[in-house]
Amino acid sequence: MSDDFKPRILGFLCNWCCYAAADAAGISRYQYPPNLRTIRVMCTGRVDPAFILRGFVEGADGIFTGG
Amino acid sequence: MLTNADFLALAGKQGDFTARIRLRPRYIDTDSCTACGLCTQYCPRHHVDPYNEGLALTRPIHIDYAQAVPATYYIDPESCLYLQHDTCQICVPVCQSHAINFNQQPEELDLKVGAVILTPGFGRISGKTLAKFGYEAHPDVVTSIEFERMTSASGPFQGEVKCFSDGRHPHRLAFIQCVGSRDLGCDNGYCSSVCCMYAIKEALVVKEHDPDVEITIYYMDIRTQGKDFDKARERAEAMGIKFVRAKVAGVTPWKNRLQLTYSTLDGRHEFEPVDMVVLSVGLESPRDAAGIADITGIELNRYDFAKSDTLSPLTTRRAGVIVAGAFQGPKDIPESVTQASAAAGIAAGLLKKQRGQGIVHKSYPREKDIGDEVRIGVFTCHCGINISSVVDVHAVDDSVEDMEGVVYHTDSLYSCSQDAIETLKQTIIEHNLNRVVIAACSPRTHEPLFQETLKDAGLNPCLVEMVNIRNQCSWVHAAEPEAATDKSKDLVRMAVAKVRGMQPLPEQTVPVMPKALIVGGGIAGMTAALTLAGQGFDSVILEQGATLGGHLGLLNHTLSGSETAKYLKHLVAQVKKDGKIEVLTSARLVQIAGFIGNFASVVATGTGEAAKEHTVDHGVIILATGGHEHRPDGYLLDKSNKVVTQLELEKRLAGKARNRAPGSVVMIQCAGSRGDDLNYCSKVCCNHAVKNALQIKEINPDAQVIVLYRDMRTYGFAEDAYREARLKGVVFIPYDLDHKPEVYEKGRSLHVKFFDSILREETDLTPDLVALSVGIVPDGTDGLSKLLKAPLTDDRFFLEAHVKLRPVELPVDGMYVCGLAHTPKPVDETIAQAQAAAAKAAIPLVKGSVSVDPIVSHVDQDTCIGCGLCASLCPFAAIEMVKVGKKRKAHTIAASCKACGICSSHCPTFAISMGGFTNEQITAQIEAFGEVSEKETTEVS
Amino acid sequence: MGKGMEHRAGSVMVLGGGIAGLQAALDLTELGYYVYLVEKSAVVGGVMAQLDKTFPTNDCSL
Repeated sequence: MSDDFKPRILGFLCNWCCYAAADAAGISRYQYPPNLRTIRVMCTGRVDPAFILRGFVEGADGIFTGG
Repeated sequence: MLTNADFLALAGKQGDFTARIRLRPRYIDTDSCTACGLCTQYCPRHHVDPYNEGLALTRPIHIDYAQAVPATYYIDPESCLYLQHDTCQICVPVCQSHAINFNQQPEELDLKVGAVILTPGFGRISGKTLAKFGYEAHPDVVTSIEFERMTSASGPFQGEVKCFSDGRHPHRLAFIQCVGSRDLGCDNGYCSSVCCMYAIKEALVVKEHDPDVEITIYYMDIRTQGKDFDKARERAEAMGIKFVRAKVAGVTPWKNRLQLTYSTLDGRHEFEPVDMVVLSVGLESPRDAAGIADITGIELNRYDFAKSDTLSPLTTRRAGVIVAGAFQGPKDIPESVTQASAAAGIAAGLLKKQRGQGIVHKSYPREKDIGDEVRIGVFTCHCGINISSVVDVHAVDDSVEDMEGVVYHTDSLYSCSQDAIETLKQTIIEHNLNRVVIAACSPRTHEPLFQETLKDAGLNPCLVEMVNIRNQCSWVHAAEPEAATDKSKDLVRMAVAKVRGMQPLPEQTVPVMPKALIVGGGIAGMTAALTLAGQGFDSVILEQGATLGGHLGLLNHTLSGSETAKYLKHLVAQVKKDGKIEVLTSARLVQIAGFIGNFASVVATGTGEAAKEHTVDHGVIILATGGHEHRPDGYLLDKSNKVVTQLELEKRLAGKARNRAPGSVVMIQCAGSRGDDLNYCSKVCCNHAVKNALQIKEINPDAQVIVLYRDMRTYGFAEDAYREARLKGVVFIPYDLDHKPEVYEKGRSLHVKFFDSILREETDLTPDLVALSVGIVPDGTDGLSKLLKAPLTDDRFFLEAHVKLRPVELPVDGMYVCGLAHTPKPVDETIAQAQAAAAKAAIPLVKGSVSVDPIVSHVDQDTCIGCGLCASLCPFAAIEMVKVGKKRKAHTIAASCKACGICSSHCPTFAISMGGFTNEQITAQIEAFGEVSEKETTEVS
Repeated sequence: MGKGMEHRAGSVMVLGGGIAGLQAALDLTELGYYVYLVEKSAVVGGVMAQLDKTFPTNDCSL
């Protein structure tokens, strides 16, 4: 089980930095695991702690906030 | 935008030029190319990549870098097999969008233009000069630009620094400064002004990567005179980067390493083994400078840069031809950006009558009412094979079939191509769609395009959501097509969930009061006012003193010999007679309210009986509050009449007294600056000292002038004056912080004690006069900062919106800064900056309204409890507390809001929502994320 | 921006598409003028685009 554990991660990405960086990672074809599902926000200031709790309720194994 | 273009001729005059341009073929049709990159993969020939300074190979058909503009590939004819040898053409069938066209021919066009701005940049130092330092002869001697590509994470070595000779990581690294600068040997007598800073930057980058690397920078003077640049130098020293004041004589191979030979100030010769040498190459005049000068008729200076006058730094001999950037003189990015804005402002002034005539205004159909029914269209893009080679696009397309609200879905080869856009528009109309999801690339690049399409189709532009299944999916999960397809499905489902809750958001526009308030009536403020008036805008100048003129009135002439007094008189007269400029003297700003486009300021004038308060309505504000001389303690200034500041010395030298140029003068640089009372370099004092020293020598050639300095920062062409001063016998002696010069009185004589670092001994002189170079402090920035909510740097100067790219704008919209309020600077830079601030300030005034992205925050007045938490947290002062009836309520100033959402996430009653990112929408996305987890969980159990 | 030859009143030519040229062109556009940005190489951006640690944003929205 532990070896096969593929966590489902929910990410909140800031439009100006982290989302842009994720775009740039694509441009340079940087490869990373496909476990992340992202939500774009205009700034991580937008991320209400309630969103994070909600994410866990909805079954996320981890939550990533990038800003 | 005309790329691959040569400038051939310029006829006509200001307002009516004809410029002849030759377009060299790109061999790729820019409208069809989708930048997929397939052609480069198939192209069989290698091509040395000039973008990577020859450190990497590419193909003749290529794009320089992923973010290149235009985002179109091109074929370099130098190495293309077909263009050179009439064979190959493999790329033609490979290209799926049929963009390759070998039949393209050079084309000449005549452009009718009213003004010309020359920004050709700078050229490269010749190989001959580099060869003096072992470049070419040894692979481990590299130029700083090559090194820049090497340290770049997206460069050919992914940021790894390696020796070219054997691939080892260099342990000892040496930077040699002034390669091709301050060197009459290659006829570059000037200082390139930027190399010290970038060398420190590169050294810091390497050191951060690998703290064990030993880095030494060999220099003559460290010229980090720019705003906050000295701080970087201090950081570098703290990180263990060594600075050695020495002249490097040569670089020779030594075993498998290199040996540096250098001589220090006290005449010693030293040898140092290193692994790698970086040559800090200077900025040469552009290679085609002579050609440009020939075509345009402008004058060049002795170093082949554009010649210009200190007091009108950007204009040339030919009316209507303006220069900016490094061609005007070597300079860094912020200076170039400033000059560019200034040049735009000047050109705009020249063509005032034609403003707006060449611009096409687009009209859109009326927005239709979207009704209550949710009708979503989902469009999934193949992006050629960029997405579809990994993600199963058809599966993604099929997956939306049963989703709630989705009434239409399809896929397309290129969603962004012109015909696909037209199809999208027709589909929206035909199926009466009222929400659109585009699963393709990044909204950061393509959202505006699709928003535009929605507008064309009569929908509110906020009703589209993009799903990034290229940059953040197919490109990064190339080896896992199934997982990538699953991810795409999830992301699309989340987007569909989000768009269900989307509502049209009205585009808000706020009218702009077409008037500027300019605080400060010195050279900066007056120049800004005149530049604005030149474009037809009113302004009000607030001057706290009784007359206009400011600091420049205290100067006599500039280093380059321009007469400041005469110019100032002329400028004041111009300001006074200009009907568009109102001047309030003895005036200060006491209150300011409002936001960009609509400020209301209270200005107090006069004192006592004559005191009055005026209200000025204005759309923008320019801060040109200037600065004054700092008067340091500890050098007997104001205590001995033999100790003066450089300004006082200048005044004295301009007088008529017979002994105005005394027989012996000691000048002390950085008196009170760079770590003493002031923590920064004031940029102008070295030039000032050289100017006064030359003036003394002019009046009294026998005078003995000694300048005690830390680094002589006569950057740019001022280096010539520094050299001239040395030739005329002015003695320059460096001192360091451990041996600061001391000024004391003994009996009636004035003594200066210092450590002579050349003779290496303690010296005591009794000069007739001591002149202190004292630095500049800003005027009244503390009070203004509080009034305007505009932040200051640690040194009490205004902080710009972006140090490199937005150097004259403040973080608060509608506020601009120029002159000494920004940072100390000489008069030519102040003038250019004032012109730039005026040009930037004119932008909202020209538009007549500011439009607000509808993604701003909105407060629901019913739920708001008036706690004020949001207003206290907002970093942009965009929330105000207003009285509604008897209660306090928060209200968003849409024009100031940057849509960060901090207010929304902190509101205890969820009263604040963000346009396009509401709580409901984000929650719906999270729920949609959860749907699959549940499904999977069920499957597992 | 098209390659139109038609005469447009209020046009300015900017020679050189480095950071200075781009900034001048962007500002002029915002000030209400039509700009021909003439660049001798195939891409705009100039030397700044080669630099590592500045922001090569290249957000040229002509």
